[in-house]
Amino acid sequence: MMPGGFMGGAKDRLLPVSVPFRFFGAAAFFHVLAWLTLLWGADDLPRFIGGPGPVLAALHLMTLGVLAMAAIGASYQLLPVATRQPLARVWMARLSFWLFAPGLLILALGMSGEADSALWPGAILACAGLLLFALLTGDNLRRAGSLPIVAAHGGAALVALLGTIAAGLLLIGDFSHGYLADHASVAVLHMGVAAFGFMGLLVFGYSLILVPMYLLSRSVPTRPGWLQLGLGVAAILLFAAGRLMALPLLDVFALLIGLAAAATYLVLMRAAWKSAMRRRQGLSFVLLRAGWAGMVLGLLAGLVLAAGIDIPNGPALFGWIVLVGWLLTFVTGILQRIMPFLASMHATGRGGKPVRVSDLTAELPLRIHAVGHGLAFVLVALGIVLDLNVLVQLGAVAGLAGALAFAAFAGVVIVQVYRLGPPS
Amino acid sequence: MSFTYRTPQLLQEDHQTTLDVIERLDALLAKARRSPPDVNDATVRGTLKKAAEAIGAEVEFHFKFEEDELFPRLEEAGDVGIGMHLREEHAALLPLGLAIAKSAGEAIDSGFTQADWDDFRDKAGELIERMLAHIQKEEMALLPMLDELLDDESDMELSVQHGNAH
Repeated sequence: MMPGGFMGGAKDRLLPVSVPFRFFGAAAFFHVLAWLTLLWGADDLPRFIGGPGPVLAALHLMTLGVLAMAAIGASYQLLPVATRQPLARVWMARLSFWLFAPGLLILALGMSGEADSALWPGAILACAGLLLFALLTGDNLRRAGSLPIVAAHGGAALVALLGTIAAGLLLIGDFSHGYLADHASVAVLHMGVAAFGFMGLLVFGYSLILVPMYLLSRSVPTRPGWLQLGLGVAAILLFAAGRLMALPLLDVFALLIGLAAAATYLVLMRAAWKSAMRRRQGLSFVLLRAGWAGMVLGLLAGLVLAAGIDIPNGPALFGWIVLVGWLLTFVTGILQRIMPFLASMHATGRGGKPVRVSDLTAELPLRIHAVGHGLAFVLVALGIVLDLNVLVQLGAVAGLAGALAFAAFAGVVIVQVYRLGPPS
Repeated sequence: MSFTYRTPQLLQEDHQTTLDVIERLDALLAKARRSPPDVNDATVRGTLKKAAEAIGAEVEFHFKFEEDELFPRLEEAGDVGIGMHLREEHAALLPLGLAIAKSAGEAIDSGFTQADWDDFRDKAGELIERMLAHIQKEEMALLPMLDELLDDESDMELSVQHGNAH
């Protein structure tokens, strides 16, 4: 079996192994770097409300370096398979990586406060990579006649990505020129649209493919899927309007609608679970479930803050729950399933016998990661609320240990896929 | 996934039947671990009986139907790769399924020695893992493609063939 042959023939939809795996490998690398940078800036985290420094750099290494990087790799490979439409240009996917990954490194250096002059070059490169991704994925989704609901989620996420990029560039310009009347409000808009609009809608949309696939579910109802999208988009629009018109009260309504969207999403996931042909799912589903709990907890924390109820260091806690409790937990749970599964399609075993998924993975590092990640989430959250830097530092060490273990897992998968299947 | 045509629905029902046995085998391996289970235990006996009766025949029939009737149609439509890939997986799965069915049948009559159980455990573990990944691929790729390819007439023809052969 030649690599790229699965679902091949006239409509080859499995990309060369190097394309998705460069994104997944980079996500594992940036995961380690994000925790390391957070450890460096641990003292600033509890009271963080924005501005250059190690926390801002760590935040972007996590959101762009891990979450977006993994989402891009997954989109490039999974969408052509799911939509049954090939990616328009594979070289453009490669180019997007070579713009995005180095751009992000330079951008993070600029954001850390160590080299201000790196901000614009890094931002331009990273944004160019993201725009190329948006172009390629938008084109694929436009041709996805068979999966309108996933295409609609993806399309809305890409619009949110464009909004995130625009707000991000405005913020970077404001660091040197100071033209924004309310920098903090635009920063909240940037973070909210990125987390809930871009990543959140991608999570909602891709879950409709990936979760039923892993559970071998018979069916997931379509109508609630459209409802979750409608509610999600309405919540993000309302939130953006509140920020742009300086009406913070709209945040409350946006979060309530967001909770309704999350509830609809969980109803869909429950339907997938109830019709599952396979329920023994292992560690990855523990992480997915924990991520779903993080999603609800994050929205509730946001609602409490928007209602004017004081939580010590509330903004930092809210961001922490959403980014680490929900999105990072969910994405690492999904990655540990996608990577060996995709690798098994590329790798060829001895005597042409297909390779087993277990030959391409490593269980112990994944267990260490799960423990480290869980511990890090709890310790840092406590450190934020209690304003205790030592807890944040301990949490960052646990997160770093987990990230190193996850990188070891990713390394095993990548080495095995190259050892057992010809690289391309 | 839910499908419009009857043929992918029938194949999904085959998957459900196979998964039922696979889940039971998985539970048996998880419970017994390294020690041979007591074949007089009702649950163990039920699982072995199901494996002996269903898995070999089910897998053999299902694979043959796909290879003889479905893959050629997909190949004619230009999708060569999926048939090639799934045929390779069938070639790895079929001997495992037949071996498990045979060992389960023998164990019902005479129980497991330690060596029999070690061999059964290795083969069943491999069958479970390979079969789950295989069914995931078929559910994700083959059945949706088939649902797109079929029309009323070809669906009727294939579903009757599937029903007659079962």
